[in-house]
Amino acid sequence: MKLYIKLLTLLTISIFFSCEDVIDVELQKAPERLVIEASLDWEKGTTGNNQTIKLSTSSAYFAEDQNTPVTNAAVKVTNTNSSEEFIFASQNNGSYTTTTFNPIVGNTYDLEVIYNSETYIATETLQPVTDITRVEQSTEKGFDDEILEVSVYFNDPEDEKNFYLFRFKEDGDLFFELEDGDDEFINGNEVDWWYEKDEEDNQGEFTSGDRVELEMYGISEAYHNYIRTLIEQSEGVGLFGSTPVALKGNCLNQTNADNYAYGYFRLTQVVKTNYTFE
Amino acid sequence: MKKLGLLFLFFTSLLSAQENFTVSGSITDASNGETLFGASVFLEGTTIGAITNEYGFYSITAPSGDYNLIISYVGFLDVKKEITLNQNQKVNFEIQEYATQLEEVILTADEKEHVNIRKPEMSVNKLNIKTVKRMPVVLGEVDIIKSLQMLPGVTNNGEGSGGFNVRGGAADQNLVLLDEAIIYNTSHMLGFFSVFNADAIKDIKLHKGGIPAKFGGRTSSVLDVRQKDGNNKRFAASGGIGLISSRLALEGPMFNKKGSFLVAGRTSYANLFLAITNNKNRVGFYDLNLKTHYNFNENNKLFLSGYFGRDTFKLGTSFETTYGNASANLRWNHIFNERLFSNLSLIYSRYDYDIGIKIAEFNWISAIDNYNAKYDLKYYFNDKFKLDFGASAIYYDFNPGAIEPTSTESSVNAMQLDKKKALETGVYINAEHKLTDKLTAQYGLRYSYFNRLGGQALNNYANNQPVAYNSVLGIYERGEVIGETNYDKGESIANYGNLEPRVSMAYELNDNSSVKLGYSRAAQYIHLLSNTSSVTPLDVWTPSGKYVKPQLSDQFALGYFRNFKDEAYSLELETYYKTTDNRIDYIDGSDLIGNNTIEQEILNSEARAYGLEILFRKNTGKFTGWVAYTLAKSEQRTDDANAGGLGISNGEWYKTPYDRLHDLSITGSYKASDKWTFSSNFALQSGRPVTYPNGQYQYEGLSIASYSNRNSDRLPLYHRLDISATYTPNKKPNRRWKGEWVFGIYNVYNKKNAASISFGQNSETGVNEATRTAIFGMVPSATYNFKF
Repeated sequence: MKLYIKLLTLLTISIFFSCEDVIDVELQKAPERLVIEASLDWEKGTTGNNQTIKLSTSSAYFAEDQNTPVTNAAVKVTNTNSSEEFIFASQNNGSYTTTTFNPIVGNTYDLEVIYNSETYIATETLQPVTDITRVEQSTEKGFDDEILEVSVYFNDPEDEKNFYLFRFKEDGDLFFELEDGDDEFINGNEVDWWYEKDEEDNQGEFTSGDRVELEMYGISEAYHNYIRTLIEQSEGVGLFGSTPVALKGNCLNQTNADNYAYGYFRLTQVVKTNYTFE
Repeated sequence: MKKLGLLFLFFTSLLSAQENFTVSGSITDASNGETLFGASVFLEGTTIGAITNEYGFYSITAPSGDYNLIISYVGFLDVKKEITLNQNQKVNFEIQEYATQLEEVILTADEKEHVNIRKPEMSVNKLNIKTVKRMPVVLGEVDIIKSLQMLPGVTNNGEGSGGFNVRGGAADQNLVLLDEAIIYNTSHMLGFFSVFNADAIKDIKLHKGGIPAKFGGRTSSVLDVRQKDGNNKRFAASGGIGLISSRLALEGPMFNKKGSFLVAGRTSYANLFLAITNNKNRVGFYDLNLKTHYNFNENNKLFLSGYFGRDTFKLGTSFETTYGNASANLRWNHIFNERLFSNLSLIYSRYDYDIGIKIAEFNWISAIDNYNAKYDLKYYFNDKFKLDFGASAIYYDFNPGAIEPTSTESSVNAMQLDKKKALETGVYINAEHKLTDKLTAQYGLRYSYFNRLGGQALNNYANNQPVAYNSVLGIYERGEVIGETNYDKGESIANYGNLEPRVSMAYELNDNSSVKLGYSRAAQYIHLLSNTSSVTPLDVWTPSGKYVKPQLSDQFALGYFRNFKDEAYSLELETYYKTTDNRIDYIDGSDLIGNNTIEQEILNSEARAYGLEILFRKNTGKFTGWVAYTLAKSEQRTDDANAGGLGISNGEWYKTPYDRLHDLSITGSYKASDKWTFSSNFALQSGRPVTYPNGQYQYEGLSIASYSNRNSDRLPLYHRLDISATYTPNKKPNRRWKGEWVFGIYNVYNKKNAASISFGQNSETGVNEATRTAIFGMVPSATYNFKF
């Protein structure tokens, strides 16, 4: 529904005598925090044994070097149902990896990170995801019915609440485009989720031969609340946007509660595919 | 003891009425028969007098004798009439505008808008529609709401945001009335223009505090806009052609001059330009004002008025939305006798929007309807004591939203959010009482009662917490639903009653100056849900109920008022302190659209606002205008006891988006000759409080901003200068057609004032940057107005 907000802003910009420019702004500086990107995503059809957790620290908003890895932490994940433990080894570049992870849908896992003598913990349950039934291209969906878009089709399971994270990326783009979804208005239906670009986007509209990566994750309700706000805020809070808020993930600091970590411990099932425009 | 003294005073003033007689009647404009609101009627050489009410009625009671009755009104010639008061009598006046033949008078007394120092009424601004029409405006669209913002204590949230803010209050805390009908959205085109067509408007009165007891339902202000009745002397037309819209108003006598009509319409044609420039988007609005009245006899008049306005937006073929207000009002003025005036109103009003999203194949519909009956009476006991009393009832019907799939292939299911119904009633009594020659008081009481009606089910929550604090994660979460209670149609979900005292006093220091003091309490039972910094047309109203409590505000004000140099200049100084309980705040990450359980998104908060307002006016001469300065704070604190936890921003006070520490407005108009008048506005104000990033971190391959405490930053200082020139070609006295050109430049020095600053990553370089959106740069305009 935040689509409207985007549209309103778009309209305002396109219709009135408005202009946009990049300016210098002086900002407040928050204390540095640990950032935990613990995304244990199990791609359907694989073993899911290989998993990576990334640790870094936050920096000033306009900092030139935004790559500030944390290499000296201890990272461990425990399956609380089976008490199975997985130690993630530091690769000395901010990545911590394991090759023995055992993903089980519906099982609950604990994360423990020890950094600077402080212990961070988080708990999450591995969420299933439904299959992508087909991928199609068309022009009549999307904002503009003269522009190509690609649609991912899937059947939303009717009996439960489902939350989705989509990641789309055209080859050559710098970042994935993130979109969040829930089945409040579409429960139990066949859903088509489209991805379209316009001329103002990086690399412009889709044309024949363009290749895109498409990923669909099953996520928890709590993570959905988190990622929805994150996505909304990462798109910039414009004219009609809601007031930005401090985003708190699920990683707590047991030693010093005020020094909580950014980031999230998520466990998802994911289906990945790709599509080349004809 | 004190109370006894007052009571004594009260009775002596009533008793002294014995040998008195009353003169009453109505005051109208000789040129078109429009009744005049706020004209003063005085007995020369006494302090006995009255101000005409909304329907031009006055009543004066004085001891028998011979008097000179003096009528005066802004922009009109004074009238003096000898009367012998030996019986009750009716005297109607038709007064003349300063006409062109009387050029020399214009120069000395044009548009005198001095302060009424005697009336205890304070925190009120009346704007003359002529002053409004002369002020330079963006694209030449005369705009009442924008003009109000040149007054002290009135701001808005920047270009491109709807509504206005009074004394640090939110836009939904303003009661906006058009001929008594509630208008829920005051803007066209997302806030760029107002819904009021200046050609159809007679009076505008803004109560920023000390709201009279007859008004209720909002905590911040009352904007009372009255439509013209229509010319009952002759057929007349007026209109204009501008860059954005064109207007036409027709008016004339009806029913053998026992009545009149007015039809005014306005439509935009931005669409033409969009089509020409091959832009696939469309934007437009139109509105229609209607009014007619019929005089049965001296004592009975019937009025019918209506408004209908609509906005349409289209984004290519994928998205379409229309929204607007509609209202109708039937009124019956009845004069029981010389001293008792009454008005009965039956009012309907509605605001709705409809969004069509073709891409997802559904329509989204939302509306608020209300039916309002009001009976207001005024009794003029004697020259020292007047009494207003009455009752009102409003029945609300809220449709927060419905989804209708537009095709069978739509992946969206049909859905209807729970409709909500409520009844808001009020009774009031208010006295205007001259206690001594120097001291006048106005004291009243309103009792309001709100009943949220059944006919729907409501969730029950664990620990009765729709929102609960998760102390582990340190965030507010939606509470656990443990069941549902179904309320039958006859049942009441919740009800609230509030006593709202309203008191003010004026003490005359001397002939030219006075001090005034006021206190008022007001309750507000319906709330606009909006977690964005700007009000959008898609925001939804919600009534108080089981989980949402009514807002209650208390305001204290103190003022000093002075006229200088024979009322050529006036000064108004006011300070105020206002607190509001039960203001709605939103949990982090709240989702308001299409939400059936709003109580799970909101927290209870309190607000406070205080400030100093200075208004200095030059009222006469070739050059007229004013300087308005406001120094103010507006803050909010959210530490909801029911939800627990620390609250928003750790339960500290934080600035509301309506906080402006400094706000300076200067507006002036210079009549250079018969042909040319020049006007100018200057506005300078502190930037709007906003929330900026205070750091970043890497997540999902993106640079994610962390944000500082709510509203702890400010947009850059806002300032702007506008100018306009009005050219009236040679007047031919015998020709009825009168035309004028208005040329204007908005934002003369092309200041790029930030409407918003957003932060994000450049999609090509990945570097974080701050992007400023400025809406209006320098905008020239030309408008042609005519009347005949």
